[in-house]
Amino acid sequence: MKPLNANEPPHEHIVRLEDVSKIYQQGKIQVRAVDNLSLDIDTGDFCALCGPSGSGKTTVLNLIGGLDVPTQGKVFLENQDLGDLNGAEIARIRRDRIGFVFQAYNLIPVMTAYENAEFVLKLQGRPERECRDRVMAILTEVGLAGLEHRRPDEMSGGQQQRVAIARAIVTQPAVVLADEPTANVDSATADSLLDLMQRLNREDGVTFLFSSHDQRVMDRARRLIRLRDGRLGSDEVRP
Amino acid sequence: MNLANMAWRNLWRRRRRTLITGFTVGFGVMLAVTFTGTGDYMYTNMINASAASGLGHVTVEPRGYNHTPTLDKRLTNSTGIRQRLLSLPEVTDAIVRITGQAMFASATKTVGGMFMAIDPAQESPEHNLLLRSLVEGGVFSGTTGRGAVVGERLAEKLNLALGKKLVYTTTDANGEIVSEIARVSGIFRTGVDEVDGAMALLPIDRVRETLNYGPDDATLVAVMITDQRRAGRVRDVMTRMVGSPEREVLSWHQTQADLAGLITVDASANYISQALVGLLIAAGILNTLLMGVLERTREFGVMMAVGMSPGRLFRLVLMESFWLGLVGLGLGVLMTTPWYLYLYHVGLDFSGMLAGQDYSAAGVLVDPLMRIRLFKESVAVILVGVFLLALVSGIYPAWRAGRIPPVESLRTI
Repeated sequence: MKPLNANEPPHEHIVRLEDVSKIYQQGKIQVRAVDNLSLDIDTGDFCALCGPSGSGKTTVLNLIGGLDVPTQGKVFLENQDLGDLNGAEIARIRRDRIGFVFQAYNLIPVMTAYENAEFVLKLQGRPERECRDRVMAILTEVGLAGLEHRRPDEMSGGQQQRVAIARAIVTQPAVVLADEPTANVDSATADSLLDLMQRLNREDGVTFLFSSHDQRVMDRARRLIRLRDGRLGSDEVRP
Repeated sequence: MNLANMAWRNLWRRRRRTLITGFTVGFGVMLAVTFTGTGDYMYTNMINASAASGLGHVTVEPRGYNHTPTLDKRLTNSTGIRQRLLSLPEVTDAIVRITGQAMFASATKTVGGMFMAIDPAQESPEHNLLLRSLVEGGVFSGTTGRGAVVGERLAEKLNLALGKKLVYTTTDANGEIVSEIARVSGIFRTGVDEVDGAMALLPIDRVRETLNYGPDDATLVAVMITDQRRAGRVRDVMTRMVGSPEREVLSWHQTQADLAGLITVDASANYISQALVGLLIAAGILNTLLMGVLERTREFGVMMAVGMSPGRLFRLVLMESFWLGLVGLGLGVLMTTPWYLYLYHVGLDFSGMLAGQDYSAAGVLVDPLMRIRLFKESVAVILVGVFLLALVSGIYPAWRAGRIPPVESLRTI
């Protein structure tokens, strides 16, 4: 599949975090979810953030995705400091450069599989024909050919998560942020979803950053970043 | 999928809730049509009845006559004025009359009252309530005879019957007391005590002679127009046409100030009732949309996470209120049409509640049969008003949807 932003030079570090901290106020208590974390994610990475519950995995994904802002430090996406952008610019970055896959699929229930996958392309204002070609190609790629007219409540969990993956990659984003993508599906489905994402990474060069404590995800990740109490525990790159 | 399509589908995710809200909006349309339509019908009837009682929708009269109606004030060249006014497209009739106060006496009693001197050739039952209400005899022929048509209650007070003599005494153009004899040719009953107990119709030329008026003098030209709502505009046109330092042109609002005041107060109360109903409907729509927004918080968070802007989300929810407004209007039209047709053709009869008595207000008989008539403008105001109400009710939920930070929305389960 031809990238949408093919004319842009690839960035070596797609994501860079510099001394990032995130402190939440829970009642009268301050919770330091992320604590002086610095790390880089490279183009083409298939990387898992892992750690126990409360270690800060989801918070890091939210910060990278521009869904949350750091209390201190900087988050760069393709060398762009997200802290320099206003709400509309962040929304545009999320729309054009980031794909999201959520634990609970989070498809829009009134839309068919086709319309869910097409949603972000429509937000981008892509022409109808281009939308159709790209969506049909991506649905075929994720194994949903023939199911494009089904609504989420007519599909299994695994099928819904495939639609979510299709929605995430249809715009050829710089990085796909996947928050516990296998947590709600059975083992066989989890394996097939991981096969799919691994293939997309290997064949199409899609960069994936997972947050997960699923051993299957950790086993397949080429890079494993362990978080502990919001800090970097270890950063292991596998051959 | 475009926003309109998405909003339409979202609306039917809670079919029952949408239908209940739609019916609420529809019920609001029905109430607004009923309130406005019965008002339009009743006010128009009262104004037309008042106009037909003597002064018309618009009146040309000597300056100051409305404030102090003495017979030394008079219009000259009344026929010329009448002819000029009849050339206006909105004028359906213009009638030369003399009105004044008089003492009426029979062989046994004397009663104070009012006379209206007319030319029967200019009059018609449509534009003269007294002629329309004849219960005995008929109107005198010609303008120089000694006929009189009196109210039923006045006839009772004076022990008059058809053919009996009536003496009226008044002051002439010079302030001198003058009297004339008439013979009762007809009796009318309008149902309004102050009219039936005090009014008499007399031949205009005989009265001119009695009052020492010139052959073309009168106290007023009563003008009937096609639509009472345009009285003010027609008055302005007529003022430019026949106004002068000696005479003025007044609309029914000025000559029938009591009636105008009554209608203003009643219409204001009507509008307040409608505004309260509108508030209830708005609260219903707001509740439905806000519930729809709050239960989709996570979904909105996902939409924003994948790049939907808060502004687009605002438009999506506003589009849902747009559809809800349209659905409500559609249901409103379906619910209201049979009700409207029933009130239009049959009406609701409240005469039983009045125990056979006539009910009048500001000197005008109020029809106990409640019917409906909706002006085209009122239809437009109701439809646009209810639709805008639905849209405005959607603003807060729409604003709320766009303001929830995506990260908080995504935490919602």
